Amino acid sequence: MLARVANNLFWMGRYIERSEHIARYMHVNYFSSLDAPHEISRSRQFVLRSMLRMAGEAVPDEGEELNEEEVLHRLALDPSNPFSIISNVRYTRENANSARDLISTELYESINKFYHFVLKYPADHYKKKGLYDFSVNIIEMSSILRGRIRSTLLHDEVYAIILLGVNLERANQLIRMINAKYQDAKEARGSYGDTFSKSFEWTTLLKCLESYDMNRRHYKKTPTSLTTLEFLILNPNCPRSLMNCLNQIYNHIRVLDNSFRYNKDSTAFLVGRVRSEYQYKYIEEIEGNIQQFIDGMLKNLADIGTQMENEFFHY
Amino acid sequence: MAAKDHTIFSSYQRDPALFDELYDEKGEVKNIYKTLFDLYGSHSIEDYMRLNEKAKSSFFNQGITFQVYGDKDSQEKIFPFDLFPRIIDPAEWEVIEKGAIQRSRALNLFLWDIYHDKKILKQGVVPLELVSSSENYLHQMMDVDPPGGIYNHISGTDIIKHNDGKYYVLEDNIRCPSGVSYVISNRTALKRALFGVFNHYQAYTVTNYAENLLELLETVKPKGVDSPNTVVITPGMYNSAFYEHSYLAKTMGVELVEGRDLYVENDFVYMRTIKGPEKVDIIYRRIDDQFMDPLEFRSDSALGVPGLFSAYKKGNVTLANAPGTGVADDKAVYTYMPEIIKYYLDEEPILNNVHTYHCSRKEELAYVLEHIPELVVKPVDEAGGYGISIGNKLTKEEIEKVKKQIAENPRKYVAQPIMSLSVHPTYIDETNSFEQRHVDLRTFTILGKDREFVLKGGLTRVALRRGNLVVNSSQGGGSKDTWVLKH
Repeated sequence: MLARVANNLFWMGRYIERSEHIARYMHVNYFSSLDAPHEISRSRQFVLRSMLRMAGEAVPDEGEELNEEEVLHRLALDPSNPFSIISNVRYTRENANSARDLISTELYESINKFYHFVLKYPADHYKKKGLYDFSVNIIEMSSILRGRIRSTLLHDEVYAIILLGVNLERANQLIRMINAKYQDAKEARGSYGDTFSKSFEWTTLLKCLESYDMNRRHYKKTPTSLTTLEFLILNPNCPRSLMNCLNQIYNHIRVLDNSFRYNKDSTAFLVGRVRSEYQYKYIEEIEGNIQQFIDGMLKNLADIGTQMENEFFHY
Repeated sequence: MAAKDHTIFSSYQRDPALFDELYDEKGEVKNIYKTLFDLYGSHSIEDYMRLNEKAKSSFFNQGITFQVYGDKDSQEKIFPFDLFPRIIDPAEWEVIEKGAIQRSRALNLFLWDIYHDKKILKQGVVPLELVSSSENYLHQMMDVDPPGGIYNHISGTDIIKHNDGKYYVLEDNIRCPSGVSYVISNRTALKRALFGVFNHYQAYTVTNYAENLLELLETVKPKGVDSPNTVVITPGMYNSAFYEHSYLAKTMGVELVEGRDLYVENDFVYMRTIKGPEKVDIIYRRIDDQFMDPLEFRSDSALGVPGLFSAYKKGNVTLANAPGTGVADDKAVYTYMPEIIKYYLDEEPILNNVHTYHCSRKEELAYVLEHIPELVVKPVDEAGGYGISIGNKLTKEEIEKVKKQIAENPRKYVAQPIMSLSVHPTYIDETNSFEQRHVDLRTFTILGKDREFVLKGGLTRVALRRGNLVVNSSQGGGSKDTWVLKH
């Protein structure tokens, strides 16, 4: 596979995952805030700020009033915002275009349909009453893309590259969501005797990652900071957990580099190291200093991306 | 059966001066079209409008769109596609196919000759100036033997039916002919919208193009290579034919590369992959001669590969089509096609050339001067349609002026009869009805070593504006699915 095209496919995977996470975060936060148990979580300003924070946008000062329609539009349908969903979907298609000869017609057509759906979505309707419909469609269409990737592509290097993009981005988005909700939980503490560890925000976090039901099944009680973080960071069976992402990244990088002893400058070596570290961690170690974990992991993930670029995409 | 019995054809108006593909000389619907005519006739206009929308969305979903430069994403457009297919009778097709192969082979021999011994020029069958003055003649190709002896691996032949009911070739395209992907996507779109009609007709498939292309390209692999590594090279994803480049690479199962993905070392060509360099043996190029190699041709080209031509001359890589083929597809060479075919193949041309009067010949000059209103007069050495006068559009004074110009410098002019393209019922969005529109046909021929292939079908292009004879997509042309029927 051409190095240039590999780079494009890697980013295609990342953009697919990114647009879905933004959609999910907006959707879940907005709708769960409508009947949230206490005041701060119910505040629209609080929710809008959280959305901006998660998307990596500048969050204005406390005193400044945010305009709901503006924020919703900016994050989803504003083509001039490079982080909006519409921009992400456009990049997805552009990258798919350049690798059209390598991916299946089925996958391409789904990407293309997705693009036209977002492009044609009436902005006015979206801002006033389309948030649910729009975000649910984004989530479903991204699931279709992942299904098409899995079921219509040859499981070779092309597939490994795309899934490296998907999983690296998923891990990244997971950490960003944990970060945003961690800040929310700290802010929302206090009223009704909510403690940090029993904050409603943990439930929202799990829902943002489509992991709430399975978390209940696993622990059989209301999510706390400890069970939520353990589930989302360390449980390898939770498909959205960091551990699961690291395992997948490890498996896919081995398709590209299957040497027995790794060169210490290789991506596979770096991935293996990070993965081993978290394989042998327990949650109390992390929960004691969440901020440190978040910052450290974001750096690890960025390093893996840089390493991949040097090793595989250098052309 | 009269047209007025059918809702969708009820307002179809036939101009008796035009050759309508649907009707025979008695004004009856031709046998091969009868079933189709009935099937389409059974649709109400509303039905048909819905189907038409469905076909359009098929193109959108397949991502077969082009962008109008300078516009935003929302301006993405599809090439207009007409749901009413064109049918070609098996007997007629046989002639087209044989004729297309004959022309491609003759052009290939002509190219070999003018880049080697130049016999045809020395013997005066074709004038020397024709080649020496051509800007597409590449002196760098002199005495270069292309692998397998093939220059024009892929030819696109533009054919029309005149109002005498006969096929004529208008142009041979042997540089980078495009359009074959539209043949296939037109078929796909028609199947998605109206699959039922295929139950009544046995048309040849068109999806076998890519496999044949790869097979035939592999017959002209460089010497000493066992299993050749083939790639398609494209100027990039913003090129208007990028869909076609990616389609061909995908269906052949080969890499689609850009110039920056390739490099040349010791006269061998390599591509940069995630696992390091990989040797490339056959390149199907969709980049023009001048942009291929900045060391040999235009030095400002960022699309090409430095050193590629040198690797080619060493015989280490096959380029399809070969560099320098453009010299044989210009308008002046076209006028000598009957002579070229006779000279190399000792055969009569199977497909008609539009007859060309060379004013340099005395008796032909006399004919031209007397028949200006029926002729198109062209200067031989001007490109791009400059200095052309179309006889039936000239005033009396203008005719006299043209006559004077020719008489002053007869060597400078050739003349051809005014050709009329046949018409075909075509659905027109604005009026929601069928109207007559002019059509042509581009066929695709592949030459390999001792083997050839013609795609059974082709691109029927439609001039969508009423009365317009220009079918090019850049001028608002559309296209139709084209069926070659089995016997």
